[in-house]
Amino acid sequence: MKCGGLDVIALAAVALGMGTAPAWGDGEKIALFTKNQTNPYFQSVRVAAENAAKQMNATVVNYIPTKPDSIPEQMSQIEDAITKHPDAIVFIPVDFKAMVPGVQKMNAAGIPVINITDRVGGGEVVSYVGSDDYNLGLSTARYLLKRMNGEGNVIILEGVRGAITNVERMKGFNKALTEFPKVKLLASQPANYQRLQALQVTENLLQSYPKIDGILAANDAMGMGAIEALEGANRKALVVSINATKEGVEAVKAGKLLATGDYNGYLQGCIGTMAAIRYLRKLPVPKEVVFPATVIDSTNYQGHDMADAQRTCPKWEDVVKR
Amino acid sequence: MNLSLADSGRRPALSADVATLAYRVLAVLLLCAVLALASEAFFTAANLLNVLRQASLVFLIASGLTLVILTAGVDLSVGANVALSACLAATAIKATGSVLLGVAIGFGCGAGIGLCNGLMVTWLRIPPFIATYGMLWVLNGITYWYMAGDTIHGFPPGLRALGSGHLFGVPVPIYLMLAFLAAGTLFTRYTTYGQEIYAIGANMEAARLSGTPVRARLNLVYVLSGAMAGLAAIVYLARLNSAEADIGESLTLPPIAAALIGGTSLFGGVGTLTGTLVGSIILTLVLNGMNLLAVNANWQPLVTGVIVLIAVWVDIVTRQRAEARA
Amino acid sequence: MAESAILRERSHWAAHFAAIPGVGYILAAMLAGFSLVSPGFGTWANFSNIGVQSSILLLLALPMTFIIMSEGLDLSIGAVLGLCGVVLAMVLVDGRGVGLGLAAALAVGLAFGMVNGALVVGAHIPPFVATLGTLGVAQGLALVITDGRSVVGIGDALPALYASTWLGVPFSIVVAAAAYFVFHFLLYHTRFGAYVFALGGNRDALVLAGVRVNAVHVAVYALGGLMAGVGALLLTGRMNAGHPIAAIGMEFDAIAAVIVGGTSFERGNGWLPGTLLGALTVGVLRNGLNVLAVPSSLQVASIGVLVIVALLVDSMRGRS
Repeated sequence: MKCGGLDVIALAAVALGMGTAPAWGDGEKIALFTKNQTNPYFQSVRVAAENAAKQMNATVVNYIPTKPDSIPEQMSQIEDAITKHPDAIVFIPVDFKAMVPGVQKMNAAGIPVINITDRVGGGEVVSYVGSDDYNLGLSTARYLLKRMNGEGNVIILEGVRGAITNVERMKGFNKALTEFPKVKLLASQPANYQRLQALQVTENLLQSYPKIDGILAANDAMGMGAIEALEGANRKALVVSINATKEGVEAVKAGKLLATGDYNGYLQGCIGTMAAIRYLRKLPVPKEVVFPATVIDSTNYQGHDMADAQRTCPKWEDVVKR
Repeated sequence: MNLSLADSGRRPALSADVATLAYRVLAVLLLCAVLALASEAFFTAANLLNVLRQASLVFLIASGLTLVILTAGVDLSVGANVALSACLAATAIKATGSVLLGVAIGFGCGAGIGLCNGLMVTWLRIPPFIATYGMLWVLNGITYWYMAGDTIHGFPPGLRALGSGHLFGVPVPIYLMLAFLAAGTLFTRYTTYGQEIYAIGANMEAARLSGTPVRARLNLVYVLSGAMAGLAAIVYLARLNSAEADIGESLTLPPIAAALIGGTSLFGGVGTLTGTLVGSIILTLVLNGMNLLAVNANWQPLVTGVIVLIAVWVDIVTRQRAEARA
Repeated sequence: MAESAILRERSHWAAHFAAIPGVGYILAAMLAGFSLVSPGFGTWANFSNIGVQSSILLLLALPMTFIIMSEGLDLSIGAVLGLCGVVLAMVLVDGRGVGLGLAAALAVGLAFGMVNGALVVGAHIPPFVATLGTLGVAQGLALVITDGRSVVGIGDALPALYASTWLGVPFSIVVAAAAYFVFHFLLYHTRFGAYVFALGGNRDALVLAGVRVNAVHVAVYALGGLMAGVGALLLTGRMNAGHPIAAIGMEFDAIAAVIVGGTSFERGNGWLPGTLLGALTVGVLRNGLNVLAVPSSLQVASIGVLVIVALLVDSMRGRS
């Protein structure tokens, strides 16, 4: 990355100048905004960001709303973060439309923004790093429908209506359904990305429809809930979901979940943070880094079932081919 | 606080309770009739058992909560209690493989939290609303820190039986619900503890003057509320087969709504566990019906809100009529 | 004659300063502590942020003080704020002016406030339940008309208004301060205010004096709805969008701010400056914890501890 000797001398010079003891934290200060503390997906992003920063000699400060997914709180946290002048911000908006003024505040303060995961609907960002929700929805749904041999009944479990991830994934699911005209969509109900809700919604739908062959869940938590409902009612159906969290991958391993689309929070955290640091160091950063849509099934889950704590960020050059 | 119908020191007459209960049961039957007509999937044994199972989870929490509300108090921490107790119990089960240990820890954690609530109210004399609201945040903070964004999953099959298992074709949680309904009703109706709790709610000063150990009874109801949350945590764990920090998010207001729909009065001294059970069933029926009829989920809060208002309004009107007749 | 007794009985707003409530000490301690530990905290820019961040909460906490003084509660105020915000946004998207949008928002808020009042006073439904019901109705309506999504494209007028400064003071703070003065005047210098005091502890005196108690009682809830409409102006301006459920949960924050500030449920006595202190305390805590980059789980727990400790201090000093 950089030549070791110069690095140390530069750091020492800065440290001496500041009168503090040199530490690895003397590098760039990156502020990372995630949506909540409870969803394992965002924990992956945070762990990865920490890892990437450590590798590149920078520090990450986390801003998470105390009320999960709270828009006013994230807005306040942006204002509070700006007073601390972070060198760059890696940003997941709680709501991709309502947080636009937040990004504009960052722009006004002259702080470069890397937008990851949910594409924000406005404001200036240096780069967007994320997965392609639409293609993930499309590929995962196609996988299921092919496995159903193109016929049978399916239900869809939707996520949070207003979330961009949900909007795109639903578009993907529904496009895939048009490609398999003999498959019947019985119902499409929201379970807000929540496990318990998905469990109860699936239970209720199992009552309405005696024959359900496939379930398309917009995220792993809902997929798990659906699986619990099926097992509790002694019914069988093929379930696919998206996110490829550790739990989802383990369920694929155990044969309970057919497949899960790889949303790859860990990689987004890595590359997003790296992009921020690279930008500060005047290295090239593309306007957009979108990961290809991969579907994890029983054949390719190896390597995806590691605990985040044991993973390390890949090299930038391996991921960003530009 | 206003005095209820009863003399201070005696809980309300049986007939008033029976009357309000009768109206509620009527409401349930009416709802069922409407749903049965609207959806052919509704009136099947499997679906009705589903509804009862979903209701039993709410009831387990709401039952302890009813006791607290009977004393003119409130417990806003039950949801967060369920989350933390579930996460701790999950850790225990995963570590030792023993479901029994998990149940003990969940129950104990819940009761312990309840005791803290009780002490804040009785000893530190902090109003119940604030004490339990503060506890809600503290518990969430502890749970978020403890879980660190992770989930705990993969439990021995014995645990699952508690939540999703069946006994003679009836889901296990329903047995739990009936057991605690019976135990709770016996407790409130036929023990001095129960009568004292009603008396405290009706008129705390009078109860104190007549020798009731008010502090001890208040501590008791908060401990019971916490313990029931701890128990409910285990059942949720068993149903979901996993523990997450945000299980309790949606469990703060619905149990209170269930108790209120069931005729428990926030002023204290009025309410029954059977009423709370019916309230839990009404709430669940509404959601079940909306799923079956594929009603847009956006309508759920609206319908629930209206049902709460109607139920309580009917209750008030019947109570006023009863008072006028008395 | 009874009425003058009521007017006399109301406590003077300065009386409580003699015995500063727990929250005053906590606020002072936090201001000192945060300033010492973090240089970024004690700047005008940061205090301005705190003011802006606390303004919507104050708007909700002011009428909540009156409501709690009347031995009631309004759980629906957050949901109503969301609905008003969405209505405001939709009017703006339709190309109409901010004035019309605000009028629409105020109308919706007032309507819900009146409904709350009617349920509590007319139908004798306990406030907790009545407003729990209207919470559901407001939240449901907001979700249905937006399908759960933000309403964007509200034009430039409102954001410009929100971002404007008046003699250097941000618009939000101006609105919140104005609201505070209005409510303070209402409570301590008008007959209506005396009635509000009496609603909580001495209702019979009001009835005996021939005051239209029910009207006052309903008005207290109507004020809540109205302020939700004003809050919607600020929230929509802040987000540059209307969001149906962005304000859910604010009602509990408002209730906590009021109680921490010294108003109590049981005895119906209230202290409006305390509400201001309470709202600021919450705002200072949240801001300070962010500026200090305290881990999020600890932030969550701190909020609970703050609320409990504030009441504990009061309880120990015998105020409870």
